[in-house]
Amino acid sequence: MALIKQTKTEPTAIDVRSIVRDFPQLQAQLHSADASQRRWAARELLEHRNSASALVDRLPVESEPSVREAIFTTLARLGDATAVQGLVECLGSDDASLRNEAIEALKTMPSEVAPVMQGLLHHADADVRILAINVLESLRHPRVEQWLIEVIESDPAVNVCGCALDLLTEVGTRHSRAPLQRLKARFASEPYIQFAAMLALKRIDPA
Amino acid sequence: MTQAAITPEEYLKFTEFFYRKTGIRFEESKRYFVDKRLYERIKESGRESFREYFSFMRFEASGNELQSLINVMTINETYFFREEYQFDCLVKSILPEVSAKKARGEPIRIWVLPSSSGEEAYGIAMCLLERWPGITEHDVEIISSDIDTRILDMARAGLYSQRSVQKVPGAYLAKYFKATTRGYQMVDSLRGAVEFTRVNLLDAADVRAYRDFDVIFCRNLLIYFDDLSRKQAALTFYEALRPGGFFLLGHSESMSRISALFQFRKFPDAMVYQRLEGGLA
Repeated sequence: MALIKQTKTEPTAIDVRSIVRDFPQLQAQLHSADASQRRWAARELLEHRNSASALVDRLPVESEPSVREAIFTTLARLGDATAVQGLVECLGSDDASLRNEAIEALKTMPSEVAPVMQGLLHHADADVRILAINVLESLRHPRVEQWLIEVIESDPAVNVCGCALDLLTEVGTRHSRAPLQRLKARFASEPYIQFAAMLALKRIDPA
Repeated sequence: MTQAAITPEEYLKFTEFFYRKTGIRFEESKRYFVDKRLYERIKESGRESFREYFSFMRFEASGNELQSLINVMTINETYFFREEYQFDCLVKSILPEVSAKKARGEPIRIWVLPSSSGEEAYGIAMCLLERWPGITEHDVEIISSDIDTRILDMARAGLYSQRSVQKVPGAYLAKYFKATTRGYQMVDSLRGAVEFTRVNLLDAADVRAYRDFDVIFCRNLLIYFDDLSRKQAALTFYEALRPGGFFLLGHSESMSRISALFQFRKFPDAMVYQRLEGGLA
């Protein structure tokens, strides 16, 4: 036996990957009993502009992690309004894994998430507001600091403000200094806020 | 234009950010290395201070500046037997486990990417021939891929500088290379044993045919990708591996921060990732 070289990398067996399929076929494939077929359909649907709705519908019932990961990745790549809305709705799910995966996907879509961020940061549910701040942690958008400032200036929940404060410690600039001082005053009896705000102010250049 | 010095607080802020993004941690001892490259990027991007640059780089929607920064902060150097402990892991731990499950006559398949100029794929080939007794009982296919067709031509030619072969054991050098006026050339038998192919890892059509691999080496590539591209690449590797197949990243990279689809395996020589048997369901 030895090192061998086959002249092609094509699969030897005919399988689902080698069949050219159109949108209806892929949509049907997304509900196949075979997880590998569902996963492959989720990846191939990236080539179809209107596929976000089918993918979003599949998310809550999809139990195979690898298929879910494929769906999230394709939705993030599609990045249209349907995809964003579907991902945002996952933030309210009781399924922690679904929420976390949605956060990870949203973090990769700065331009698409920006229009809905304001609404998320004013969501009635404080947990969703915290998840929105988690999205901001890695969101590449020039408004991140401004959104965080708005949170620490107005959000009534100390935990939400605490999350925003943690992030401001890293991304804050001199624009955050006065809001941080006001946050300290607003939560004067909260030791964590006092400590974290002091740390943030120390880290932020006064210039 | 005079730049303000990077303060200790700014250095800390940068290294924490860079670690989260790439898994690469720079200690205080790397201060000179990091500062020098940061100053270069600050100047190149037309910014006047670290603060201004950091803000621009961190929030730039395209991520281009972060990419440029990663490029200068990582040492993009290829040579034979780089991170050799992973080859030891391959022959001592991984291949014995893989070969034990192979049906008679079924080849073991190894995918190497990025191929670059072929040092890694040829290095693996030499290791198998010299250090893995199982090669007498099993056929092994090595496919080495890259997006750059120019570098693939160089890999096929198999011509290397003295510097590139400096870690090749003398006995291997004598056996597998020919000294020429232009450098060291890989012998024809090994050049003919590795398949070099062009592939864009993020193109579904490109990667569709890459499957049934038992081992994938993908070292020091994903650090150049953005988060979403890393996730796409992880799915590609998941599809390309057989259930139970092994996946090796560079020493500073971590799959656990990219995808949950692989389990961590700790072997005596190296830590690797593995696609679970039968998938995750």
